[in-house]
Amino acid sequence: MLRLSSVNQLEELRKALSAAVDENTPCIVIPTGTCGQASGAGDLIRVAKREILANGLTRKVRLRITGCHGFCQMEPSVLVEPGRVFYPRVGLREMERIVHAAAKDKVLTDILFMDMETGKPVEKQDDIPFFSKQVRRLLSWNEKVDPIRIYDYIKAGGYSVLAKVFAAAYPSWVVEEVKRSGLRGRGGGGFPTGLKWELLAKQSGNGGKFLVCNADEGDPGAYMDRSVLEGNPHSIIEGMIIGAYGTGATEGIVYVRKEYPLAIRHLDVALRQARDLGLLGENILGTSFSFDIGLVKGAGAFVCGEETALIRSVEGKMGEPRQRPPFPVQKGINGRPTAINNVETWANIPLIFRRGAEEFAKIGTGNNSGTKIFSLVGKIKNTGLVEVPMGMSIKEIVYDIGGGPVGKAKIKAVQTGGPSGGCIPSDMFDLPVDYDSLAEAGSIMGSGGMIVMDDNTCMVDVAKYFMNFLKDESCGKCFTCRKGTQRMYEILDDISRGNGTPEHLELLKELADAVKDTTMCGLGQTASNPVLSTLRYFRDEYHRHVIDKKCGAFVCKDLVGASCQAGCPLDTEVWRYVALIGKGKYEEAYKVIREVNPFPSVCARVCGRKCETRCNLAVSGGQAIAIRALKRFITDRVDPAVYKPVRVPRRAKDSHRVAVVGSGPAGLSAAHYLSLLGYKVTLVEAADEPGGMLTSCIPAYRLPRYVAEKEIESLLDENITLRCGTALGKDVTIDELFKDGFKAVFLAIGADKSWRLGLEGEDTEGVFSSMQFLKAFNLRGEEMARGHVGIVGGGNSAVDAARVAIRQKKVKSVTLLYRRTSQEMPAYAEEVEAAIEEGIRLETLVSPTSIRYIRAAEAEGVKVETFVQPVKIDAKNGRLADIKCIRNKLGDVDSSGRRKPVPIPGTEFTIALDTLIVAIGERPDSDCLASMGLELDKGGRLRVDAKTLGANRKGVFAGGDLVTGPNTVVDAIAAGRNAAAVIDRYLRGKELREPPQVKLPKFFIEPAAVSDEGFEDAARVEPAALPAKSRRKNFAEVETAFSVEEASREARRCLRCDLEFTRPKEDKEAKCAAPGEKSA
Amino acid sequence: MITLRINGLDVSVEEGTTLLEAARFFGFPIPTLCYMEGLSPYGACRLCVVEIGEGPSAKLVSSCTYPAEEGLKVRTASARVLRARRMVLELLLASCPQSKTIQDLASAHDIRQQRFRQEYEDCILCGLCVRMCEEQMMAKAIGFRNRGEKRDIGTPFDVQSDVCRLCGGCIYVCPACQLRCTYTEPEKAICGGCANLIPPCLEKEQFDDMMCYMNPCVACEIDKKFEKK
Repeated sequence: MLRLSSVNQLEELRKALSAAVDENTPCIVIPTGTCGQASGAGDLIRVAKREILANGLTRKVRLRITGCHGFCQMEPSVLVEPGRVFYPRVGLREMERIVHAAAKDKVLTDILFMDMETGKPVEKQDDIPFFSKQVRRLLSWNEKVDPIRIYDYIKAGGYSVLAKVFAAAYPSWVVEEVKRSGLRGRGGGGFPTGLKWELLAKQSGNGGKFLVCNADEGDPGAYMDRSVLEGNPHSIIEGMIIGAYGTGATEGIVYVRKEYPLAIRHLDVALRQARDLGLLGENILGTSFSFDIGLVKGAGAFVCGEETALIRSVEGKMGEPRQRPPFPVQKGINGRPTAINNVETWANIPLIFRRGAEEFAKIGTGNNSGTKIFSLVGKIKNTGLVEVPMGMSIKEIVYDIGGGPVGKAKIKAVQTGGPSGGCIPSDMFDLPVDYDSLAEAGSIMGSGGMIVMDDNTCMVDVAKYFMNFLKDESCGKCFTCRKGTQRMYEILDDISRGNGTPEHLELLKELADAVKDTTMCGLGQTASNPVLSTLRYFRDEYHRHVIDKKCGAFVCKDLVGASCQAGCPLDTEVWRYVALIGKGKYEEAYKVIREVNPFPSVCARVCGRKCETRCNLAVSGGQAIAIRALKRFITDRVDPAVYKPVRVPRRAKDSHRVAVVGSGPAGLSAAHYLSLLGYKVTLVEAADEPGGMLTSCIPAYRLPRYVAEKEIESLLDENITLRCGTALGKDVTIDELFKDGFKAVFLAIGADKSWRLGLEGEDTEGVFSSMQFLKAFNLRGEEMARGHVGIVGGGNSAVDAARVAIRQKKVKSVTLLYRRTSQEMPAYAEEVEAAIEEGIRLETLVSPTSIRYIRAAEAEGVKVETFVQPVKIDAKNGRLADIKCIRNKLGDVDSSGRRKPVPIPGTEFTIALDTLIVAIGERPDSDCLASMGLELDKGGRLRVDAKTLGANRKGVFAGGDLVTGPNTVVDAIAAGRNAAAVIDRYLRGKELREPPQVKLPKFFIEPAAVSDEGFEDAARVEPAALPAKSRRKNFAEVETAFSVEEASREARRCLRCDLEFTRPKEDKEAKCAAPGEKSA
Repeated sequence: MITLRINGLDVSVEEGTTLLEAARFFGFPIPTLCYMEGLSPYGACRLCVVEIGEGPSAKLVSSCTYPAEEGLKVRTASARVLRARRMVLELLLASCPQSKTIQDLASAHDIRQQRFRQEYEDCILCGLCVRMCEEQMMAKAIGFRNRGEKRDIGTPFDVQSDVCRLCGGCIYVCPACQLRCTYTEPEKAICGGCANLIPPCLEKEQFDDMMCYMNPCVACEIDKKFEKK
């Protein structure tokens, strides 16, 4: 390599390099940072090279290997210039095709990036939302430059500002320029870089001054420095040369951690090339200025990112911080003045001089100029590196660039700044991301880690995780940092194991404050942030752990036990009966189910299956056990008579009378359990027969009428008196019930009053509410729907109504109108899917998952349109004629974490309808309760104490949909059962609240011997459904039951989370001797 | 000379004086565990924290390592300082409850309970012994090892050091946990001064150059000087 001896030679070299390449020749860019390599970019390079050479395409296609471009979610990706076509997740076959397509200047439309929101492929990288909303001043260089070729960097304009800098009259101009740019340290503290340089420049230079690039990036979940080091090492070298010229430093050091082998390799090569070219070393570019950079590899201690510890580490001593003052700028490495800046800060320096300080400062907000790279990771759709202007709101970063939450989860918080940072809750997402705002919110900018957390993340666990990290990574010098982090971890561990008390929270706060106050270095002073910020914003979550002994996110193992059991409102020992099915013990399995659930057959068909969403197989990315189908298998197979309920004998004097109003699942189970406890119960029901929603609303193809009736029948024993046709408020009041000698009243009248659209003409003939429609059919067999039917809503009752309607004789077509995307429909996904199979048209925003359903529907001859909401109902001759709808688009994120649907003006269109069913939700028909002195909320729900179910009148309890609003059957059963227990305690004059109990698996069931054979591809077994054709116009049950073979196969897929708690002691100890556990 | 204000009193001290030295000189007591005259200040025990600065920028620093600065305002016993100090002592008491020094300090600061899980450690890692060995004994036989939770004091690889003269200085300076003295277990790597007499205290000619500060010997409670006579 020719040594350059003047600035002019550098410029000539640049010209020669540019002339040698035709920029219009297609160039395949393969990002091969550590993330790219891990996902197979190395193979892509080999394939691309082979294809190019084998087909003689060397003149037609260029190939460039670069560092990471940032979209790590889509690695290995390929970018084709000059069209900037982006191909995500490229396979080897696709790589071959890309080479040929690029040579012919073509685009492969079938493997382009698919935009989740519009459902359309995007060709250009810059049009992808993830990229288009960023300002990629630094990261764009990673695309342009092969990091191990200095000529690439020079050709792209690198080292060009050296001319400008060396031409400056005074070195202090350089410092002034940096000061004017307003650049603040990107390492986290945000100290103005210009100021630091000025301080260094003022120090006397006898014996040398040091410049250090701090590349000891150690935050969990943060890797932006690594990608700059790997992808563009010359920008750091250029920045340090400029810095050295401005401050008079004589020696530079890049301190990289040994865990970044690729970065070290690239830096090594870059430094050598720069030295060979005369850009480093003695008399740089022929001037009198000399400066060289060395590489120091750190052993990977988090604390060595702290500058005083870093200095000691560079000196070869143990990495532990010391008191400042004196500051490193006064006394640093070997006692010499030293300025330490972060990787990203150095990479910004050439930009300032290339664009000019004023131009640089234009981006960002007042005190925070320029851009900042964040590593956006965690529970988010698009993970990767994003570069945004300072002051962008968290909301924009998380939802617009990051694409929002994965699946139906709701984003709860963002953790910034790594272990030293804090958690910012979602209701503060309008916060601009800059040094000052984040510090005010109790977090820090840090080096730029941004970990997104959704409701499957437990904040106590998060704090515990970081404390665990810090107690290992604290240097241990300061007593309060070392012991404080250990003690905080200990307390958090106690809380997560259910041993926490409210006093613990106070102690935790006190300790965290003391640690913050009394430690020496930045690590200790910020170590409390994870604890303090979670305590500040998520105290209720701590309270749930401490007081209720529950972990809402199902993370803290000792509070959750088996997550299927914890997820079930009834506390069903799901793991137990699944294991029993695996062993063929069906009767025992039935007893396990029936013990806690008086409606096993009903739940086997219509349960909301919280157990399956919580199944650890599903949470870890697999397919949940088909628990409901297994329950169906058992209930179909076993005679209910095998279960003999335990009855508490009561003396006659003792047997109080209890009134239960409403005979839905809540009322019936309350009555059943009260009867078992020996009480005389009177069931008051407004309708002519008991059952509530079970018989009046849930369609027979989901829950055959005879199944529900049989189960209801079995619960009514001699202790229960049924009073049908008696409506509360009309025929009887609470006062009258008490007067009649009832000692307690349980209200469970459900929620069966439909919300109205609030549009004119809603009372026109042909417009019904879903409840009206379903009840008319289920109770009286009346078929209200005819012709073309429209249904507004996306919940279960909307889908039920749609599927009932399509089964009615006079119906020609059914259209479901929902204002959001089908992904966001509150109805169970499989019900939506089934509905579409049956020929129901779904009008929602087209999204990739819905495409699957919609394609199935299209196959049945259905026209598809985007999502809509009705604005006007038109009548003709007193009967519904058509409705006017407007199309929506996705707007801002609302309080529920979903994007609000916003009408697009001018998109009104008309649908001709004969029947319109409004199913936008239900509320309790509870107006009469207010007059009886009970407190209701806005939605008509009765207010009760969450623990005791007691209303604001003595002796009155309530549960089910009346309290929660429309909810699942299983929740109602749970409410009824709890009410029975509470009423029992009330009548016996005992304390109503019970101390919280953690229900961990207790019974050990030997795991079934499973041979590997046949289980390699252990996919979830789905119960077969009747084919769509044979379901039309009849009410035969759609879902069928498992065969013995299927059931046993499915049951044996269970991970058996219970074994951790139930496996006999010696066995358990042998298998998992817990390391590092300290005994008290 | 540097002028600063300690607890409202304007004082001047020589440049290079630490806040701890200044405060003690002017009669303001500050408790310490890891500080000893003649050894370089280290700032590990955090008991000596004082509050400097004013308003929102006020902060706590360890007075033993903080140099006196012109115009600095120092409070050695503000509410914030005392609150922090009490927490430090509570933590110390939870870890090393059997230390008389820590018990006395805790008692003096009116600490009546400790709310953490009780531990029985014999070292608070103040580092006095390490500095004693390095700076006064010029031996560097012992040092810190590991970091964070695993940090401890010992010789490299737990092998008895060649440069250790069995002086016992490390035990002598130990402020809190005299239990570090390992008595008669010669295989222990740290000090083991007295214990390395085999049999203890009987044949000691070969150890005549030993400079144990433990007098009387904690191992056998025999005054060696007395025996020599």
